[in-house]
Amino acid sequence: MKMRGARAFALAAAAAILVTACSTTGPSAGGGGTDQGKPFVFASTQFTPVLEQENVRKKILATYQGASVDFITDQEPVILNRIAAEAKAGGQGQTGLAGLENGQFSGLAAEGYFEDLAKLADKHKDKKIPQDMLTLGKLGGSAQVYIPWMQATYFMVANKKALQYLPSGADVNALSYKQLIEWAKNITEKTGQRRYGFPLGAGTTPGLIHRLIQGYFYPSYTGGLVTTFKNADAVAMWNDLKELWKYSNPQSTTYANLQEPMQAEEVWLGLDHAARLIEVLKAKPDDFIAFPAPAGPKGRYYMSVVIGLAIPKTTPNRAGSEALIDHLLKPETQLITLRENSFFPVVDVKLPDDLGKGLKLEADAVAKQANSKDARVVPLPVGLGAKGNEFNNALVNTFVRIVLKNEPIQTVLDEQAPLVQKAITDANAKCWGPDGTSSGPCQVK
Amino acid sequence: MNARVLDRTLIYGSAILLAVWVLIPFYIIAVSAFTPQARIFDFPKPLLPTAFSTDTMQFFVEARGVVPSVINSLLVALATIAFGLTLGTPAGYALARFHFRGREAFQVIVLATKMFPIAILSIPLAVTFLQLGLYDNLLAVALVHTAMALPFIILVTGGVFVAVSHELEEAAQTLGCTRWGAFLRVALPLALPGLAAAAIFTFVISWNEVFAATILTLRTRTLPALVLAGLGTSPLGFKFAGGLFMAMPAIVFIFLIRRYLMNLWGSR
Repeated sequence: MKMRGARAFALAAAAAILVTACSTTGPSAGGGGTDQGKPFVFASTQFTPVLEQENVRKKILATYQGASVDFITDQEPVILNRIAAEAKAGGQGQTGLAGLENGQFSGLAAEGYFEDLAKLADKHKDKKIPQDMLTLGKLGGSAQVYIPWMQATYFMVANKKALQYLPSGADVNALSYKQLIEWAKNITEKTGQRRYGFPLGAGTTPGLIHRLIQGYFYPSYTGGLVTTFKNADAVAMWNDLKELWKYSNPQSTTYANLQEPMQAEEVWLGLDHAARLIEVLKAKPDDFIAFPAPAGPKGRYYMSVVIGLAIPKTTPNRAGSEALIDHLLKPETQLITLRENSFFPVVDVKLPDDLGKGLKLEADAVAKQANSKDARVVPLPVGLGAKGNEFNNALVNTFVRIVLKNEPIQTVLDEQAPLVQKAITDANAKCWGPDGTSSGPCQVK
Repeated sequence: MNARVLDRTLIYGSAILLAVWVLIPFYIIAVSAFTPQARIFDFPKPLLPTAFSTDTMQFFVEARGVVPSVINSLLVALATIAFGLTLGTPAGYALARFHFRGREAFQVIVLATKMFPIAILSIPLAVTFLQLGLYDNLLAVALVHTAMALPFIILVTGGVFVAVSHELEEAAQTLGCTRWGAFLRVALPLALPGLAAAAIFTFVISWNEVFAATILTLRTRTLPALVLAGLGTSPLGFKFAGGLFMAMPAIVFIFLIRRYLMNLWGSR
């Protein structure tokens, strides 16, 4: 009995070794595959949620006719490390196309891992990709590191039940932060519930609070981010955020997105990334409204997220990589991307009327936000590269210490300022967006 | 008599309590995995399922690469067990039976490999495997998992062989067994329960490992590498479905091996 067990075990183990050693790369499914050419991988930091991944594979890539493509998505460090590893190993890699956020390109681009896509950009001139986006794709150099692929932004969503508590005289489409706080306060006082939500999740369910700090709170209150990190306007801003927190659901510290707590009605009101709100708008378009981010003393600042496409020099199929970019920039593909995964086109295309109620709500809110009289657009942080996380953490920790732990504002700002500065100095990042320009690294003043 | 009844009640009571404590999360995950998306936000959660839907589970099974990745995960885990036990058992045996020079140092070095965070190795590892032509290959993942599991295997098997009496082996040798035969026919069968435990442990290490699997593969992914990155930001319904999907094969495997383990203990 015992020996038989041991033998069976040994046999199974031997079989496992054989099978493992003999198995090569798995079947490469994915778009098309009718044309010849080496299969390659399309690696991206976007569309990590399983549903969105499948949308890319089954819908966005469905009509693509080139060489077989595997769409693979993972978190930022994994994708960036993989591209770096393939470049360092030399020869031909597997990754033929990288789809990254504007701010994620700089480290890899500085090492010269990407092809210059200037010619390809020329070829797509008729698509009328906005010039400032294309310039962003040069990352301050002369080579076209990436070609814009799609864009997104952040906006507000509210449950219609919250509307009755809107302060008198306030217009949701032209809200100020003061009115927002008033609104959240009314809700708490009348219903006894803290119903504002912040995307404060950490760890395995990361929220995007750092983007709200970088693109919304700081610029709207101080007109800057790095240069104004600890000035008097910043102190006023943190006081307001502390006030808003009093009317916010304490569960916020677990929220990766606001669409789920909104569906569960833990939260009635909040500001988050379009892709992290769209599910609630799609699921219950009659119960929710979408509207622009609030304005602060310095204006209605909002963040524009540009996602770009770059071809690693180690691509196994240069022609295939370019063909895939061609496919992704087609107006039809751009509209499928909007319908399925809620990212907006970068090419000049008229939005169809049959978008669906949820997407229509989003599109209207985005348009109203961009067209507000006091609207000012801010890009994602530029030039931080690998120091991006360090910079984000310094800001998130500032939020945690001041708002959640109730530490004195000025002390925290003075203590966090060197950390913010260190990330910027180490990355040698010049001022961007709200801070204007600088010759050396951007300086906290 | 009464004391015995009380004793039994206490033992069984606490056993049931422990089992429930472990099983309740699985139960909630399982029920939620089969709840329609629209009802998933109901609160308080009903303890008995009120509506049934296989939508999210079906999505998982049909999503590209999920089924192959389960097979990949199993293959990697089995190969890791095979490699790990083949390399680790002799090392454990040597540590238990022989007092050689540098034995202590060897033990420390084995453990020291656990001190390095694998994250700092990510790019060099990927580059090395790319250059070896093993990149995106299950063998590569199994090798790294073996390296990660070996310290534990050596420690566990070492402990197991210490418990197997040396005299039994010597007795076998006096009755005509060779050194190797004595090991194979006497020490090894007696050590099997311990080896099975080491195998379970190795399986769990390999099954749960995400980092090396994500770094070393692109298309040939293991289950956790394939779905874990996406689950954190996925809608709640998919989190439950994915959670159940990831837990089930491991539970089944451990259940099977555990019975085998119990049989051996029982027959001793």
